[in-house]
Amino acid sequence: MKRTLLKWLTVMALFAIASQAFAHHGSRVSYDLTRTVTLKGIVKEFVFVNPHVYITFEVKDVQGLVTEWATETDPPIMMASRFGWSRKYLKPGDEVTITVWPSKVGAPRGFLAKLVTSDGRVTDHSEQPQQ
Amino acid sequence: MRSRFIIAAVLLSSVAAAQPRSNEAPDSQKDQPFDRHSLSGIWWGHAARGTRNSLSATAPPMTQWAQQRHDAAKPGLGPRGQPLGNDPMMICDPMGYPRILFWNNYPYEIIPLPDRMIMFFDWFYTYRTIWTDGRQLPADPDPRWYGYSVGKWDGDVFVVQSNGFDDRTWLDADGHPHSDEMHLEERYQRADHNTIELSMTLTDPMAYTKPWVSEKFTFKLADGKTEMREDVCVPSVEAKYKETIREPAGGATVLKK
Repeated sequence: MKRTLLKWLTVMALFAIASQAFAHHGSRVSYDLTRTVTLKGIVKEFVFVNPHVYITFEVKDVQGLVTEWATETDPPIMMASRFGWSRKYLKPGDEVTITVWPSKVGAPRGFLAKLVTSDGRVTDHSEQPQQ
Repeated sequence: MRSRFIIAAVLLSSVAAAQPRSNEAPDSQKDQPFDRHSLSGIWWGHAARGTRNSLSATAPPMTQWAQQRHDAAKPGLGPRGQPLGNDPMMICDPMGYPRILFWNNYPYEIIPLPDRMIMFFDWFYTYRTIWTDGRQLPADPDPRWYGYSVGKWDGDVFVVQSNGFDDRTWLDADGHPHSDEMHLEERYQRADHNTIELSMTLTDPMAYTKPWVSEKFTFKLADGKTEMREDVCVPSVEAKYKETIREPAGGATVLKK
């Protein structure tokens, strides 16, 4: 009896936690949410606008070939409130390590899961997103 | 020992879930005296669990007219979401009412004036007017993106009646339609110092075979630091986002290497 009760309480707790994570919407329909890709690059443009903040950045591969990637994330009001972002959080030329859920069609586009700047600031937005 | 740990974890998570958000007035203010006939302030919306950014989890049965419109709608969010949709929000068309209410990450401000109440929405930086001067709804209203509204107090409940809705707006992110004959009743009640409760009834026989009664929405008073921002949806910015992000990510355009 006690074990069954504990199991149900655990299920309810997990539901409560999961519901909080799913509380906000997202436009992640274009992205493969089953895997992430981590890239090192140089910021080209930091666009801190509604309805989605996005960053374009250049990634150089081992042969020296440069690909322009872009990652999008939540609106400014959410990024400011949750992670302290502002229009000055990044600037062109910043070195960044960006982890994304990549585009389902293989385009160099992704939804932001994590961002680390060269001066050690970390934005961890990697809770499993809800579409 | 293990069972005590689990019980503690459950209790902690339940308590955590019930705490106000960091930008809401603290619970300690909940029992402060308040004016039951005041809805003034900056508020954060909380939809009822499971509503999925709509009036309720499930719409009433649609008419054939509405079903065709719903089928033609291609949402960018939710269970019918697809990478390249036709949600009017994607070109920054006005959100309309009540859909503007469902964006819980943006606050809104209620401002009483002598003959009307203004509901100002941070998202889209827009407002609607609720006339409180005793006038009736117009019999033949011009279509408005946010409708034409009149309101009055019925005891401790502020009752708003609205008509004159432009039928180009979606009711929710799933693309549920409405006609220009839609009538909306809203009932607001200040539950305590920090809380307003709202329920809505949408009547639109052209679109739904019976009234759409909403779940109860809760609005929580913002903390003293919250200010209304200018979160505009800018068509040129959205067009650039579409070209740079949405279409390449969704496969509508192939980027040149």
